[in-house]
Amino acid sequence: MADTRQETTETFDTSNIEYVDYKDLELLKRFINEQGKILPRRITGASSKFQRQLTLAVKRARHLALLPFVADTVR
Amino acid sequence: MAEQANTYELTYIVNGVLSENQTKEVVGRISKYIEEHGGNILEVDEWGTRRLAYPIRKKRNGYYVNMYFRAPGEVIARLERSLQIDDDILRYLTLKLDSKMLRHYEQQKSSEKRARAQEIGTLGREDDED
Repeated sequence: MADTRQETTETFDTSNIEYVDYKDLELLKRFINEQGKILPRRITGASSKFQRQLTLAVKRARHLALLPFVADTVR
Repeated sequence: MAEQANTYELTYIVNGVLSENQTKEVVGRISKYIEEHGGNILEVDEWGTRRLAYPIRKKRNGYYVNMYFRAPGEVIARLERSLQIDDDILRYLTLKLDSKMLRHYEQQKSSEKRARAQEIGTLGREDDED
């Protein structure tokens, strides 16, 4: 946990979330970057349990075209 | 034989270029299929036409339908097969609700009801048909 240098998102308390819903795009968008990639735990500070559920939810959302697989980066 | 019915969540995307009548027909067809095969539908939530995050079969918009229903397990395979065959349905996702998801769903419904009750209290609007 020593190298959480610049957290791109505030340390959002995720301990009270029981189930990460793939439809909850507001929540999901906090944990992906502009390219649509899922942010690693060491940046977001999420617990491993939460990160696993989050990953599953993001992948489901991507399947349903609610989130992109690859988002256009500003060039 | 005890009826083994599980709760499922099905989200599917209908082709966005269909007319309103055709879309309604597709949604009705799916709902009827579930009902006919021993399921009972808890909720159908149509999100309407949304822009897709990436084109699917060259289409950029889709009509999202999100529904919850209870059904015996054998129905699901046939249901998914019919969704797969249907040309008007672009994507689908069927999930079986486990206890955590069920709790989450119940919580959402009760907080929605409270929010709606508050609105009705202050504004006296018409209630949506459930």
